Amino acid sequence: MSKCRTYLCKAVLKEHFGDLAEKICLYMINKGCCHLRQIASETELPLDKVRKVLTALIQQNVIKFEKTKRGVVEYFVDIDVLLWRHRIPKFIHCAKSLYGDAAELLVEDIVYHGQIMMSKAVDNVTSKLNEALENAGHQKIGSSIVHDKFSLLAGSHFIRQCINGMETSEEELDERDQSTLYRVPPLHSTGKRKRSIDDSEQPAKRQKTDAPGDDGIYWKINSRRFHQYFRDQMFIKAISNRIDKRASTILQTMLRLSEVKTDDLCFTTQPLSFTEIFQAIPLDAGITRNLCEQYLTLMVDDSTNLVSKIGESGGGMFVVNIMKGLTSLCKAHLESVVQERFGSKSLRIFKVLLLKEHLEQKQIEEMAMIPSKEAKELLYNMFAQKFVSVTEISKTADHAPARTFYFFRVHMDQLARNILENCYKALANAMVKREAETIEHQ
Amino acid sequence: MAANVKQEPVEDTDLETRVLLMCHQNPEGITDALIQEDMPHFDVKQRVTAINRLLSTGRIDLLKSSSGKLIYKLKDSSSQDAVKGSDQQEKVVYQIIKDAGNKGIWIRDIRFKCNLLLTQVNKILKNLESKKLIKAVKSVAASKKKVYMLYNLEPDRTVTGGAWYSDQDFESEFVEVLNQQCFKYLVQKAEAAKETKVDPIAQRNSSYASSHDVWKYISELGISKVQLSVEDIETILDTLIYDGKCERSIVVGAGDSDKSKKLYRAINPVIQSTGLMRMPCGSCPVFHNCYEGGAVSPTTCIYMKDWLQL
Repeated sequence: MSKCRTYLCKAVLKEHFGDLAEKICLYMINKGCCHLRQIASETELPLDKVRKVLTALIQQNVIKFEKTKRGVVEYFVDIDVLLWRHRIPKFIHCAKSLYGDAAELLVEDIVYHGQIMMSKAVDNVTSKLNEALENAGHQKIGSSIVHDKFSLLAGSHFIRQCINGMETSEEELDERDQSTLYRVPPLHSTGKRKRSIDDSEQPAKRQKTDAPGDDGIYWKINSRRFHQYFRDQMFIKAISNRIDKRASTILQTMLRLSEVKTDDLCFTTQPLSFTEIFQAIPLDAGITRNLCEQYLTLMVDDSTNLVSKIGESGGGMFVVNIMKGLTSLCKAHLESVVQERFGSKSLRIFKVLLLKEHLEQKQIEEMAMIPSKEAKELLYNMFAQKFVSVTEISKTADHAPARTFYFFRVHMDQLARNILENCYKALANAMVKREAETIEHQ
Repeated sequence: MAANVKQEPVEDTDLETRVLLMCHQNPEGITDALIQEDMPHFDVKQRVTAINRLLSTGRIDLLKSSSGKLIYKLKDSSSQDAVKGSDQQEKVVYQIIKDAGNKGIWIRDIRFKCNLLLTQVNKILKNLESKKLIKAVKSVAASKKKVYMLYNLEPDRTVTGGAWYSDQDFESEFVEVLNQQCFKYLVQKAEAAKETKVDPIAQRNSSYASSHDVWKYISELGISKVQLSVEDIETILDTLIYDGKCERSIVVGAGDSDKSKKLYRAINPVIQSTGLMRMPCGSCPVFHNCYEGGAVSPTTCIYMKDWLQL
């Protein structure tokens, strides 16, 4: 793992879980999988303290564990989950804007606990809401309203059930199992009828203890679904910038239709027919059949390649090209970095290289229409900061500079990775700065 | 015997005219083998005398071709007049410069071609220049390199650099102004399209402007002292594409011409500036030297301080 990423992990751990967790996790991040005693002895911490930290972090889904063939349980840090903790405020805001206050509190509660039973979360949120309502002089609400919100969140896959890591692993789940992950159990007050088997077996005991109807089923945030939502919002924003609001409405409809149906990491969405898309467009958007057709053509023709037409049946079959869309967005972000860091003229050189791939310096000057001296300076500046690279092709075996062609080009993947690293570092820097400022002003 | 002697000069002049005719048909020049093939009934001696006579009267030239063979070429009557009265060396140099056309020729190459000494060549060139037969032009490719060409020729684009150069200097400001004006035109066109057309496709189609339209607009603005061609404007429009401000599409010319037309239109950027660049770290010059506890560190960062207005 890169230095910058570890640096960011360190900052996140310190901020979210404190110094002890930071020490233990950093050791685990450097080592990979390790067992309990190893951690304790290497970090020179008492065993029970390590155990407590591990428990807390497992509860927060940051640490995972698995049983090796020799029967030893090994622990490792799920770095993605750890870094995604930044996005929690965004998750909560997203839930609020989609489903309202109750959903916001639910997501907050689930994140706070890491893993929690539905009944508990619903109870917590209901009491919190009621408290606020009472203070404002409103009437109390029942837990069923919160439960409905919970079902909505689960129905759109924003939250999911946890699976027991000791019994089954994520990879073993097939498609049917996947769908059961989002099945919401009934709330205990209303769910008696459905749990008839349990009821008939020990009705007396249940009545007394009033055990929740969802005992043993824990829920957590489905970060990947949130990411999918953010990604879709990015696309919608991009199309709205590029074409206009109405085009983005159509794209939004397309994404919404395929939201739960398509896997979050696939390259394209499920094909959608024109009729399907048109019927799902909200009526108040004021988009006629003709307009919808035209906008789809526009989006297919657009250079972002976000939408493609793959067939003619059903008035035309369309897919959203996730991969291509992400690539062009990524390109746009890289260009933005170049623009801000080196200026517009450098951006021109950069884009010439992006479009034409391999070019000699002379060709770059001619195409970008920048005088030789200036172009050299801009180009070498970008080269020094690893934004462009050089390929040497020598006419002779001795690689004498006079007999060698020097081709400049942009390695997109490499550059994107570099910029990502910079983002990690910048984020960690911001966190460190915030920490320092808070200490100073305490 | 006497008849034979009398006949010979007649045949010789016949041979001469035929050689001249062949030279006329092949402006690239003819080889000795070609003459032999064409007129097998003349022997070597006859050919030699004929050609020698043609050479001495200055009607054909003897040159060395690229493959190393000797070729005969018709001598230009115009060059004949221009260098009248000058000596053989001057004629040779003049011919070399003339062959180089409007691309010009470097003094070193002249020396190699005519095998004369540098001082001699210099003298000849100075002579020709003072007679206003040739001129020296500075090339944009290398500022110290002078190329020679005939006095009445307009230098080639590769020598002067075209419209974008004045006195060997690239006019970057001029290019920038044109770049901005072209973009302005395209934006105006796109805005007009947005206001007048309802259909999104019609909107897009009418926001396209052909390079000819842009050229006309720029010419009418009168910002350029030199006459720009449509191709010049296209290179400017290409820079707009590289700036990410417009896109190009090509349509096949309808009916009247088979030439495809290049259309350009202004486009909106997909994103606002990226997140990384909205904080100081994005453009920080010492970003890679920055670490906790170092001389540059986030806690002591002055850029951060300004940014957060602490």
